[in-house]
Amino acid sequence: MVRFENVSKVYRTRAGEVRSLDGLNLEVKPCEFIVVRGPSGCGKTTLLLTAGGMLHPTSGEISVGGQALYSLNRRERAVFRAREIGFVFQMFHLVPYLNVIENVLLAGSSACVRPNSKRAHDLVARLGLASRAFHKPAALSTGERQRVAIARALLNQPKLILADEPTGNLDPENAAEVFRHLEDFHRAGGTVIVVTHGTMAEEYADRVLQMRAGSLNGS
Amino acid sequence: MTVIAIVLKELAHRKWSFLLSLLAVVTAVALFVAYFTTAEASQRETARVTRDLGFNLRILPKNTDMDQFWADGFSDQTMPEDTVGRFAKYENVFLVYNHLVASLERKILLQGKAVIVSGLAPAVVAPAQKRQPMGFAIRAGTVLVGFQVAQRLGLAKGGQIELAGEKFAVEQCLAESGTEDDIRVFGLLSDVQRILKLEGLINEIKAIDCLCLTADQDPLKILRAELAKALPETKVIQLRAIADARAKQRRALERYAAFFSPFVLVVCAAWIGVLAMLNVRERKIEIGLLRALGYSSNRIAWLFLAKSAVLGGVGAVLGYAIGSALALNFGPEIFKVTAQAIKPDFGLLAWASVAAPAFAALATFIPAMLAVAQDPAESLRGE
Repeated sequence: MVRFENVSKVYRTRAGEVRSLDGLNLEVKPCEFIVVRGPSGCGKTTLLLTAGGMLHPTSGEISVGGQALYSLNRRERAVFRAREIGFVFQMFHLVPYLNVIENVLLAGSSACVRPNSKRAHDLVARLGLASRAFHKPAALSTGERQRVAIARALLNQPKLILADEPTGNLDPENAAEVFRHLEDFHRAGGTVIVVTHGTMAEEYADRVLQMRAGSLNGS
Repeated sequence: MTVIAIVLKELAHRKWSFLLSLLAVVTAVALFVAYFTTAEASQRETARVTRDLGFNLRILPKNTDMDQFWADGFSDQTMPEDTVGRFAKYENVFLVYNHLVASLERKILLQGKAVIVSGLAPAVVAPAQKRQPMGFAIRAGTVLVGFQVAQRLGLAKGGQIELAGEKFAVEQCLAESGTEDDIRVFGLLSDVQRILKLEGLINEIKAIDCLCLTADQDPLKILRAELAKALPETKVIQLRAIADARAKQRRALERYAAFFSPFVLVVCAAWIGVLAMLNVRERKIEIGLLRALGYSSNRIAWLFLAKSAVLGGVGAVLGYAIGSALALNFGPEIFKVTAQAIKPDFGLLAWASVAAPAFAALATFIPAMLAVAQDPAESLRGE
């Protein structure tokens, strides 16, 4: 499903070069639930952003579902991302002036995907947010905000969900709920890659990978 | 969700940011509208003010000895009074004047000292001028007495003065002028002609003309050539200093307008531009999110352009209303003489309705396109 071949990402800063991914190789099979663990700054987020077609690698090739991501132009990559990949961020990144339903529908408002209002309402209900459907993010708890972000990631029925520290700002109860929803998606046939420095995700994972200084070790 | 729905929700959410941006557009448009609504009045007012600096043409009898003229301050020769009427007929032929005043002056002794008796005819006003010029309006049998004469003879308003054996009522004692007018006694032309026994004669026509507008091209040479043919009994001299000062004042006003208009535009444009950049910066993560969700760069750019169009459109209408109200309320206070020239200019509304949204869109477009050109990950890291 996801394939990294000798991928490197080097950030050039005033202080010098920072090698975030260092010749990284990875293969994630369809319907696999992968957890990538590692200390802060080891390259976990860079791994996820490059896998999502959101950050050009310096070298190497990345493919998702057999499609070489960076051989697509920007527009084609945007279309591919909208259809195939869902994102869950640590900071939720909800649009503050849209309510819950509108935030979820935002994923279905890009030109390449038809918005599905019924599915948005179903997802919001399934994630326990029916009573909050018309509330703005500022009126929601952090757990509720992350569930909105998950609903948004699921709207277009992607094959892959990339989650960057999805429980980093949540208490254990809300964190467990987030993982249960990701596991539901996984059981329905989806592929999940979660990067985290916590341990809770491991009980849902098919495979846990340890990342250190831009490289992976399987476990 | 449509682009306009997203734009309206964002505007409602970021009310203060929207109001601040709106203020920039309204201020820019209002300043521009107020400036242009009062521009014509300002130019006409300046023309009036400079005109009132004094006459700039003096038409004299042909045989005037200029050494005598400059020594005495008037010509000792005369020409027929109807010369002024014939001169007036050449309006729009080879000259354009504002108004003409015929006069007759002579030096007489009054209690042992010289005074200049000055007889003034009612002004001949050019057909295009609707109002009588400001200046002396002298009734028959009355005189206006210069400061020095009044001081020496102890005269006051309501008193009497005897000139060449004839008594006149003192209508006014003039304030000190610092010129030879301080030893002048002004009377009606016909009265002065009578006491000097020079009926039907004058020795000077003072004229305000529009030659100052073409002062750079030496209009005097042209005028002298034409007058030599049309009024052979006259010659003309020009008060260059006043004419040049008037031309300079008008050119200064034009240069000021040429500087001020783009300056106002540039300052307001910079203001709008900075606010647009701040808005894009504030929404950098949002841009990254939309790109992560598969929005194309064009669609994201439309979000910003549509917002600018709303901002510019509302700002243009409000700015026009405020600018016109300012001009109509305060313009007449500033430009008292030409207040009637200040009226709403609906052409400016059309101009503002196109230019303000276009400019606001342009100011937003550049930072927005810079933001969408980045990898989504870079934008999401914007915080």
